[in-house]
Amino acid sequence: MPTSNDLPPQTRGLTAIAGAMSLIVILLIVQIWLLSAALESFLSGKLHTALPAAVFSGVMFLICLGLYAFVDRIDSEVRGSGNGR
Amino acid sequence: MFGYEFYVDPSRCIGCRSCLQACEECATHRGKSMINFDFIERKESISSAAYVCWHCDEPTCAQVCPADAIKKGEDGIVHSSLKPRCIACNNCVLACPFGIPKMMIPEQQMMKCDMCYDRTSIGKRPMCATVCPSQALSYVRPEEIAYRREKPTNIFYFGSQKITTKVYMMAPAEREAIALDVVDYMWEENHDLVATRE
Amino acid sequence: MTWLRRGSSEPLWKEEFPVRTADERYVTRRQLTKFLVLTSLGMFVGNIWILIRSIFYKAPIYGHQPVAQLGEIPVGGVKLFSYPSKDDHCILIRTAEDEYVGYSQKCTHLSCAVYYSQAENRLECPCHKGFFSIKDGAVLQGPPSWPLPRIVLEARGEQLVAIEVKG
Repeated sequence: MPTSNDLPPQTRGLTAIAGAMSLIVILLIVQIWLLSAALESFLSGKLHTALPAAVFSGVMFLICLGLYAFVDRIDSEVRGSGNGR
Repeated sequence: MFGYEFYVDPSRCIGCRSCLQACEECATHRGKSMINFDFIERKESISSAAYVCWHCDEPTCAQVCPADAIKKGEDGIVHSSLKPRCIACNNCVLACPFGIPKMMIPEQQMMKCDMCYDRTSIGKRPMCATVCPSQALSYVRPEEIAYRREKPTNIFYFGSQKITTKVYMMAPAEREAIALDVVDYMWEENHDLVATRE
Repeated sequence: MTWLRRGSSEPLWKEEFPVRTADERYVTRRQLTKFLVLTSLGMFVGNIWILIRSIFYKAPIYGHQPVAQLGEIPVGGVKLFSYPSKDDHCILIRTAEDEYVGYSQKCTHLSCAVYYSQAENRLECPCHKGFFSIKDGAVLQGPPSWPLPRIVLEARGEQLVAIEVKG
């Protein structure tokens, strides 16, 4: 049965990048919500929510950064194999 | 694509110019053929040679284009310049080691052989290969070209620069690559013009 | 972001303007991914800003302002006043002979002016039927999510003085 490994490397790379990008978008949406919730609780006087919100936002940003590094690695791998023609 | 490759054998060219005529009929450049037609030592012989774009793996024309107008597709075909981007600077015309790109002054665009992409992308032969009576330009499967005495090669050396192409040149069997030293082909003052272009 | 690029033999301009059409799609996707990660960084910086502001937050200092004379209003009566500024409208209610309570008049739902209902002994908002307890301003019913801010009152001689806002 044909598997995804039978596709040319360029198509596989594009699929991997599309997956990574959708994950980044989801994380971004969560971060937007977290920022607005943190601001709202700060303005209403609950100062204790600021620290956990900042910590989780930082964790999500680091995950986004890792996903970008993954995209970059896939990109240079596929470019390398394509240029060998 | 579709298992076919393009083979050029200048020794078979009989100078009938059918390829020029056929290429001219394409609507995008009607009246102007994209074939490079040469006479070789015209003073001494009637030899002629017809060339198409060699569709290099690392196209020099694309690399020197300042407007990023020349693109190579996934099937290896190097296309004519993109009309919105081409600034008619002639960089590609000067850079191509084979001398293929043509600058169309009225259209202000570089055009060249694109292997009749509207035909080859659906499995048909390019016009020139279809009409060539001696099959100096042929678009066949590698098994059919194996019957010939000459062997195809797609490696060229221009001085120390190595160029690999998609289009094959038929060469003597023992030759693995075609090396050209430009200095060999420069003529001194007492020579007449030895090669002309149509 | 050069430190993020894998060791590449190609110069940057060659990577950003590829000759192959297939590679061009990669450039666009990579640039979009970069931009999204930058947006994520922006969100994180926003959260850090909130954190810094919460660390340096100073509770506001309220002035003392006389709002009424003792005995000025009858039991079950109300008086409107402004505290701490003239734009902060408040309501004073005498709930018993010696008991006075003060609240901000701004309903915590959408800022309509609340009024005192003697029959039900509670503060009511006419806009969306939000009801607040007279004892501590807690929400009894309706759309408001937070209790009414309470004005802390102090009796000084014959005067009722507002000294701070709680909540």
